[in-house]
Amino acid sequence: MYQGSGKYILLKYAVLIVFGIIALRLFHIQIIDNSYKRSSANNSLRYEVQYPPRGVVYDRNGEYLIQSKEIYDLMIIPGDVEPFDTMLMCRIVNVSKERLKRELRKARNYSWRRPSVLLSQISKEAKLRLDELNYPGFYVVLRTARSYPRNIAGNLLGYVGEVSEKDIERDCYYRSGDYIGKSGIELAYEKELRGEKGVKINLVDVHGIVKGQYEDGQFDTLPTAGLALTSTLDARLQEFGEQLMVGKVGSIVAIEPATGEILIMASSPSYNPDQLVGRERGNNYMKLLNDRRRPLFNRAVMSKYPPGSTFKLVNGLIGLQEGVLTTGQHYPCSMGYKVGKGVACHAHPSPIKLNQAVQMSCNAYFCYVFRNILDNNKKYDNIGDALDKWNEYVYSFGFGRKLDSDFTGELNGNVPTRNYYDRVYNKHWNSLTVISLSIGQGELGCTPLQMANLAATIANRGYYYIPHVVKKIEGRDSIDRRFYERHTTLIDRKHFDPIVDGMYKAVHEPGGTAVALGYLQGLELCGKTGTAQNPQGKDHSTFLGFAPKDNPKIAISVYVENGGFGGTIAVPIASLIVEKYLTDTITRPHLVDYVKNMKIAYPYYDKK
Amino acid sequence: MIRSNDRRGGITSNIDWVAVLLYFALITFGWVNIYAATNRGSADSAFAITERYGMQLIWIGGSLLIGVVMMLLDYKYYHILAYPAYIFALLLIIITFTPLGHESNGAHAWIKIGPLLIQPAEFMKIGAALAVARFMSAYTFSTQKLSDVVKLAAIIGVPMLAILLQNDTGSALVYCSFLFMLFREGLNVWIYVVIGFVVALFILSFWIEPTVMVVLLIVVCTALQTLQNRNIRASLRYLAGVTLGTIALHYLFVALKTDVSMFWTILIVLGASLPFVVVYAYRKHLGSVFMYLLLFVFSIGFSQVTDVVFEKMQPHQKHRILDLLGIESDASKWGYNVIQSKIAIGSGGFAGKGFMNGTQTKFNFVPEQETDFIFCTVGEEWGFLGTMFVLVLFAMFILRLMQMGERQQESFGRVYCYSVAGIFMMHVFINIGMTIGLMPVIGIPLPFFSYGGSSFLAFSLLFFIALRLDEANRELNSFSI
Repeated sequence: MYQGSGKYILLKYAVLIVFGIIALRLFHIQIIDNSYKRSSANNSLRYEVQYPPRGVVYDRNGEYLIQSKEIYDLMIIPGDVEPFDTMLMCRIVNVSKERLKRELRKARNYSWRRPSVLLSQISKEAKLRLDELNYPGFYVVLRTARSYPRNIAGNLLGYVGEVSEKDIERDCYYRSGDYIGKSGIELAYEKELRGEKGVKINLVDVHGIVKGQYEDGQFDTLPTAGLALTSTLDARLQEFGEQLMVGKVGSIVAIEPATGEILIMASSPSYNPDQLVGRERGNNYMKLLNDRRRPLFNRAVMSKYPPGSTFKLVNGLIGLQEGVLTTGQHYPCSMGYKVGKGVACHAHPSPIKLNQAVQMSCNAYFCYVFRNILDNNKKYDNIGDALDKWNEYVYSFGFGRKLDSDFTGELNGNVPTRNYYDRVYNKHWNSLTVISLSIGQGELGCTPLQMANLAATIANRGYYYIPHVVKKIEGRDSIDRRFYERHTTLIDRKHFDPIVDGMYKAVHEPGGTAVALGYLQGLELCGKTGTAQNPQGKDHSTFLGFAPKDNPKIAISVYVENGGFGGTIAVPIASLIVEKYLTDTITRPHLVDYVKNMKIAYPYYDKK
Repeated sequence: MIRSNDRRGGITSNIDWVAVLLYFALITFGWVNIYAATNRGSADSAFAITERYGMQLIWIGGSLLIGVVMMLLDYKYYHILAYPAYIFALLLIIITFTPLGHESNGAHAWIKIGPLLIQPAEFMKIGAALAVARFMSAYTFSTQKLSDVVKLAAIIGVPMLAILLQNDTGSALVYCSFLFMLFREGLNVWIYVVIGFVVALFILSFWIEPTVMVVLLIVVCTALQTLQNRNIRASLRYLAGVTLGTIALHYLFVALKTDVSMFWTILIVLGASLPFVVVYAYRKHLGSVFMYLLLFVFSIGFSQVTDVVFEKMQPHQKHRILDLLGIESDASKWGYNVIQSKIAIGSGGFAGKGFMNGTQTKFNFVPEQETDFIFCTVGEEWGFLGTMFVLVLFAMFILRLMQMGERQQESFGRVYCYSVAGIFMMHVFINIGMTIGLMPVIGIPLPFFSYGGSSFLAFSLLFFIALRLDEANRELNSFSI
């Protein structure tokens, strides 16, 4: 046709080849390679987590124990800022001009386009004022933080902190930077308190500036607020208990016997829970952690103490149940039990029967009882079998194991077993070898919670409910069913009467160990003191009891490390708390002063 | 000027309606994408001239109006006005160097008239295409005549140089597209081979070390020579000698504790071997050996020059080249544009994210998304289907232009149509190639898609003139039947 039509065809193919190369490349980028789609999502979608407010915690009377406080952070986008009245701004947010300038510089250095926190935790008034002024480039965001209106029960309530790597691994709900309950109720009820995070999917531009919602927000979820908890604690009682314990090391646990609800759980020394919130949290935490008295340590459930004489109640009950002891049985005591290496006692009338032995806390009496239990040849072939049986009884009171309460950190305590003694004494041991158990010494280790539970069990004449600190969860009819189950001891109801009688006498009759500082007309307090021998220093002072005698409303255990004789410090504390709980008044201000002014030395906590 | 609408039913019947349809398909889809890329939701009408898509619509309307006027102009006028148009466009470019010029993005390429910014380089293409067509349609012209080729090179080279001086490398590069037309017109094929070789050498000189380059060139040149002269024993002996000589010299330098690089060691050995090669070639009467020797020396020299030139380049230009060649890659710096552009296109997938739903382009991840990177919007919102649609349209459009050229009876029309086809081809290949990482980032518009009045008007005029010439040609044909 024309000259060069061959070249026309060649050029046609050249054009088609070039377009073919482009088409192949596009096929690769758009169809085969998926990495661009992922990059695109990362590029332009920003998942903005919406944090729910954490659930609040009330005490049993509806008072706030933990509140979610609204805090306001002043945010800034430096690129949008127009000249503004710096002096006015300084006045509103109450900072110096230098500080404001410093923060502005910091924000600018971080990013010109991205929002950053200029000042955190400004006041609500400042927030309202700034909203009114509406300076371009500034805005205020709402966050929530924990606050504690009464500053009590730090150890029990626990604290919240940033999640650790392990938390994130364990539960995919958490993301770096989230907050999680670290101890106490905050930890135990984390799932209820945390609520459900929401997510807002935003479209962002190249500067990271939000341009709108992704798909009009149809994939967004709203955060669900955490559930409110009602605690069993009595805030005022707890506060009073903590005040009484100031300067002392130890704990108070009080339980409502009919339900197992914990009324007080005070561990001393404690700390102000507000210290573990906000900007100073890290510093305060380290300070508390390094405190030699270990304020972060919840002694009420984490300390293993020898129960001392309070444990005589258990041995008495076991003796009665086993039939090796009758209520009328008399035993003599002349300053102690004189068999084997012997157990010393104090001066009191002799011989005495069971209720008197409880009243006067006679060591020798319970040595007889305990040996009768272990050396009961009629029933058991050997002492090992007898100790097994004794173990069974003791376990049924909740000793030697976790009570399975609803907060964390509970300790087992320790009840020595046949195997243990076989190992330690190479199978050569007898009732005299382990005679310390009769008076709650030796290998026995109990937490103050377990001792309070014993008080509740005796108050109930033979059963207990698992002690717990939460009685109601918002929106739920009941708490965990285990808290409604009655745990009955292996002791018959009738055997409790003489023991209770002895405990009543201990507070009400002359010669009783708790009369001097524990008695109050009409209080009907029953109890048992304990003076636990302590190889490291002065004896621990302890008391457990309940009131009133019939239909008891409160069971209590007080343990004061190095407090000396049970009657001197543990008893007045218990008596005052019971009085305050039952009558809501304090008729013995001098006793309050006495307790508050009592100075106890803690040489091994405070030594360098 | 006004022609009689005779016999065949008037002007309309001779218009290539397929080409017109393709043109309208391209400008319509082009504007849709500009709308998507520039709509910020701030104006409620598609005709809001405050927005770029509204502005573009005015340009489109204006271009169509001028296009209709161009269709009414007698075709002979294009022949007559070719040189004046060329001179006029060149003058406009020169004006950009005067205070009337306006600088933007580092290029001195605009003239500001009131609110209007005009880019003369775009119109220069029309002038150059017409002038080239006029020059080559001369009865005496031949691509075999060196003097003609030199004059032609001057016609193309002068505006190219002027635009280079404007610092608008991309627009200057477009003038290489005349090679497309020249191939059709019978320019020596060897020129294309040499150009191909130089380009390959240029790219290779970035990829490989000078030393390796030298070795490679020795082997290639020797091998080519061997293929032609069938003297494999002599060649192998020569290569072995050079290798041994290099090793010996290298250890001598080491022993003398002089610091001479391997590159220069090899060159010294090769220099020393030169007399032997010359003597050998003379004895065996192998003239082609000298040709390969020359090729070798030229190649080495060229790759060295490339290095020197590269060192003198602006950092951003260096990075663009290195990035394209896959030597360096950094998502946050200069590789950013291409990576974001690829992400945008790639994320479109098969069917795209839908009209106005492109997240990459809408939120400014892609730079210059309504001008040079408009193809990202196509890729992201319309997916593979959309990009293929555009490619097919452009391919058909370009092939149609070539066909229009082929059926021209006068070389003026043929050269012009081929030039236009070449210009479109160049723009489409460089622009799309750049957005998908096949080409370095060279800022030239995608015809009918990129936002910009000058380029839209210029591309439309290029097309309408071709259409007018084709119509006239068909009219003439119908007379002759």
